[in-house]
Amino acid sequence: MNPKPSPDSRLQQQLLRFAPGLFFVGLIVLWEAVCRLAQLPTFVLPAPSAIFHAFLNVEFSRWMEHLWATLSVALMGFAISIAISIPLAIAMMRSELLSRTLYPLLVVIQSTPVVAVAPLIIVLMGSDDPSRVLITCLLTFFPLVVSTATGINETPAELIELSRSLDAPIRRETWQIRIPYAIPHIFSGLKVAITLAIIGAVVAEFVAAEEGLGYFIQFSTSFFKIPQAFAGLFFLAFISLILFKSVQWVQQIFFGWSLPKKK
Amino acid sequence: MMMKCSRMLLMAAALGTSSLAAAADKVVFQLDWLPGGDKAPVYVGIQEGYFADAGLEVSIASGRGSTDAVTKMATGQSDIGSADIGALMAAKAQDDVPVSAVYPLFTQAPHAFFVLESSDIHSIGDIKGKTVATSPFTSSNAFLPIVLKENGLSADDIKLTKTDPGALGPMLMTGNTDAIIAWVTNVALFQSQAADAGKAIRVLPWSEAGLELYSSAILASDTFLEKRPEVAKRFLKAFAKSVAFTRDNPEKAGEDLHTMVPEVDPAVAAGQIRDTMKLIFNEATEQDGVGVFTPERIAQTWTYVAEANNLPASSLDPETSVKRGFAPESK
Repeated sequence: MNPKPSPDSRLQQQLLRFAPGLFFVGLIVLWEAVCRLAQLPTFVLPAPSAIFHAFLNVEFSRWMEHLWATLSVALMGFAISIAISIPLAIAMMRSELLSRTLYPLLVVIQSTPVVAVAPLIIVLMGSDDPSRVLITCLLTFFPLVVSTATGINETPAELIELSRSLDAPIRRETWQIRIPYAIPHIFSGLKVAITLAIIGAVVAEFVAAEEGLGYFIQFSTSFFKIPQAFAGLFFLAFISLILFKSVQWVQQIFFGWSLPKKK
Repeated sequence: MMMKCSRMLLMAAALGTSSLAAAADKVVFQLDWLPGGDKAPVYVGIQEGYFADAGLEVSIASGRGSTDAVTKMATGQSDIGSADIGALMAAKAQDDVPVSAVYPLFTQAPHAFFVLESSDIHSIGDIKGKTVATSPFTSSNAFLPIVLKENGLSADDIKLTKTDPGALGPMLMTGNTDAIIAWVTNVALFQSQAADAGKAIRVLPWSEAGLELYSSAILASDTFLEKRPEVAKRFLKAFAKSVAFTRDNPEKAGEDLHTMVPEVDPAVAAGQIRDTMKLIFNEATEQDGVGVFTPERIAQTWTYVAEANNLPASSLDPETSVKRGFAPESK
């Protein structure tokens, strides 16, 4: 028989449940109070109410146009990264030659600041979507390759030995043993990559774009519309959060078994 | 099948009725920064139909600085656009950049010191011993030593800090710096920001302190000028009309800009346009005519640009940066 939870522990549970929301609301209230009491000008730090007002002042259809411009680039870059990095990680796992040849190149690409490379990509490829997608890919594919490769390599050796002793072909070994073991790692990589995809799209928009949330923020600051820039920033953070949660939902729905068991 | 046929017929009909539009020459116009009141004329040209009347279909691409704009014209991503002629001269002195200046826009330097009205800085000479903030990538920085020298000062006489362009205004209003370096095209913007803080600003333009040169100009890719010279001429004629309309109707020009870029506030744009027009129409244009590059002022501009960029004066014949004959004749 389970012991009945004490009122204290029930309170603790409720507190745990609502703590993030309460903390967020408290922070907003504090922010608003500081801005009002100290009478800070909006160009120094706009109050949350001014940011909300600025958000409503921009037509909903304009928000959607900017959102779509950013989202389409981020999602295209993310999808292409998945399409390249997972097969690449598998190929690198199967061929030591490929692994030794490509890994240093991947590290070099990852170590080069994309902000520095972005203007060169725009010069080489033009200022349309393909160059923005490439900039996004450069940021997103490395964590995916590394996490997939790590997952594949962490498959227990005894399982591999067993499959080989049963003469299982490499294809089956990969798809039925290695990939399932790599799934939690792949999803860790996907969660990092999806937020990087948004960062990549914004970096690209800072360099060359005619619309998008990054462009909108840059545009707003050039007109000293700081509350509007903050509104764009929060919208961007919100979208990033939704995308992150979407990856979590995909894992829960289709690969629930790969999640750690809840206590 | 029927659906397909009727769709094709519709398309044929649409093509037939729009044969005039289809004949329009396409031109990509490159801005050197984001859309704003100082870039209004090209938007006015589209909205008021000046380009369409000249048989042109103009599209606009935003840029991220003069060097970026020159690069995009040089690589053929755009045909013609606005950028600092100084950036073009500096680029041409170091490399054979296939871009030329065809029409002057700003015949005065746009750079200025902005100080608070309450400050004891009344002339550029008063800046001695003061703190000055500037943004890291503005072309103004290159001309700063020259304007200081022309006023009997040296770079050591001021304390210069570099910061994000968006932080310049707040730094001035909050007293974190005595002066900032900005363009006179943004006087209205800084004034409204100062008004928010219950303050007022004073502007000390560098042009009044001896810095006489061409600044923003219409540049074009040499390929565009060689392959489609008539299109370039028609463009500049329509553009000149747009500039005159913008000068005479700043409010309407602001609305035209707002129609194409809804984020731009038409009233703020009108303020920027009024500030900008002083750089386009002034004593220099009264003397030389609108749209005219004089060899003397071109040579003077190069002297300043070479000095500002530490380039030998012999590294460029400044006249090679200019291609005359495309701009409409000055009245």
